[in-house]
Amino acid sequence: MVLEATMICIDNSEWMRNGDYVPNRFQSQADAVHLICGAKTQSNPESTVGVLTMAGKGVRVLVTPTTDLGKIFSCMHGVEVGGSADITAAVQVAQLALKHRQNKNQRQRVIVFAGSPITADKALLEVVGKKLKKNSVSLDIVSFGEEDDGKAEKLGAFLAAVNSNDSSHLLHVPAGSTVLSDALLSSPIFTGDGEGGSGFAASAAAGAAAAAAAAGGASGFEFGVDPNLDPELALALRVSMEEERARQEANAKRAAEAASASDSQNAQTRSAADVSMSEAAGVDSSAGVGQDFMDDENTLLKQALAMSMSDGAGHTGGDATMAETSGEDQDLAFALQISMQEAAASASGGTSEMNKVLHDQHFVSSILSSLPGVDPNDPSVRDVLASLQSENEQKPEEKKDKETDSSQ
Amino acid sequence: MATTSIAKGQVDLIDCIDWSSVECLNEKNGHTFTNALKQGYRDDESLFLESDTDEELLIYLSFTQVVKLHTIVIMGPSDEGPKTVKLFGNRESMGFSNVSDFPPSDVISLSIENLEGKPVPLKYVKFQNVRSLTIFIGDNQESTEATKVSKIALYGSTVETTNMKELKKINPEEQ
Repeated sequence: MVLEATMICIDNSEWMRNGDYVPNRFQSQADAVHLICGAKTQSNPESTVGVLTMAGKGVRVLVTPTTDLGKIFSCMHGVEVGGSADITAAVQVAQLALKHRQNKNQRQRVIVFAGSPITADKALLEVVGKKLKKNSVSLDIVSFGEEDDGKAEKLGAFLAAVNSNDSSHLLHVPAGSTVLSDALLSSPIFTGDGEGGSGFAASAAAGAAAAAAAAGGASGFEFGVDPNLDPELALALRVSMEEERARQEANAKRAAEAASASDSQNAQTRSAADVSMSEAAGVDSSAGVGQDFMDDENTLLKQALAMSMSDGAGHTGGDATMAETSGEDQDLAFALQISMQEAAASASGGTSEMNKVLHDQHFVSSILSSLPGVDPNDPSVRDVLASLQSENEQKPEEKKDKETDSSQ
Repeated sequence: MATTSIAKGQVDLIDCIDWSSVECLNEKNGHTFTNALKQGYRDDESLFLESDTDEELLIYLSFTQVVKLHTIVIMGPSDEGPKTVKLFGNRESMGFSNVSDFPPSDVISLSIENLEGKPVPLKYVKFQNVRSLTIFIGDNQESTEATKVSKIALYGSTVETTNMKELKKINPEEQ
């Protein structure tokens, strides 16, 4: 993870008394600061975080960059709300505090919470921004609260002046939409630069999202997990969801097949005239039965029909007689006919064909030679084959079983 | 070439630089200090260190051991190459804002010749006990927006040298 020294600039101006963020702007900001401090210090044990206030009697550094979370949390309690924020002075003080960091290997970052209107003009912000860039300081801005005076534009220009290599970010959090800290969770300010976030960040985000989902609040993510934060988890969830869906569909199809099979048996017990009767203009008896059935298990049958239709796409022969039937009866009758054909084919196959195959000596010997460990020229195998031929046709399958057993 | 030769006994100090501590302010993305300082990169003129927001550059580097600094070689293009260079010995955490707060150990003004490889001798007495060095490049030859540096090489000697290689070279037959 990135080794960083971070200075967080808190807005403690009078504007923070507003209650449009729950419970009020200042408290929600304090929550967000706690969150960021936790994430930064967890992502790398040597990362440090400091805090300064922008309003009140001028800019005040509460804590110089430290790894001690307790220091940061305790200093937040004593902050008084009052005055107006001076963002340019605060950022420069923050830069100075970062410059004298003890570990020179730390990258420098300033995080500004801007909840009050920006009084400084754009040009000044750009000058300060250039200075930050020159000193290789990254800048994250969380914009919330007041939105007038071209704030977005000013902050955008500020960020553009600082940004190099996409290491700086700007986040707008409109009032009332989300909790400030929740909005931060999915932002690169919290997750770091494209590294998927720290374990702490990910778990905190997942926990918060789960809490939001449990509370009935829309977390805004599919499955309640931010796919940016934990792509593997999101993928796993999606795959498992699709598998479950496929499984359910397969179950439905199987049920539909069973239903159509029993239906076709019913149809068989009736007269074979059913099929030809479908030519009649009126509602015939089988269609009537099908109609009742459809009323009961409409959806299942639809699936079954779709399946049989696709299976029987090549069976154009049936179409000639079927074409004349009208409405949904046509589909049903077609499906019935196809399932009957299939049933007949499977019934007539089986034993008689197997007998034929076993009496074809060439075929049997070729199979035997292809089996591993079986020599067709082996005298015992030959004997068995000869006896097989001379014997009558009773139970050829059992013979074969025995033979393979002995040869193994 | 007499002009490019380094005084006898002075060695390239590249092996003494503590790379993890090297910091360059105002360097441009993709044109970092590596291009000017590191072996191989610095000898390739198409690779250079470039300033980003303005023409100034501030390079801080510390040495793994105490060194004496004798000569510096700074190379760059004749138009955007550096001109005024201030060197500070043993100054930690310098920034652009306090460059003028301290007297520099040495100030050099680079000529076109220097930028083509002619070494610049330093005030040797001022660099007898150097643990870290800050190189501040204030402007460039034609006062353009960006400064380019293709090579920085430091020559000098190490203090408290105990070079084991030299000890081994003593031939027992000669004794």
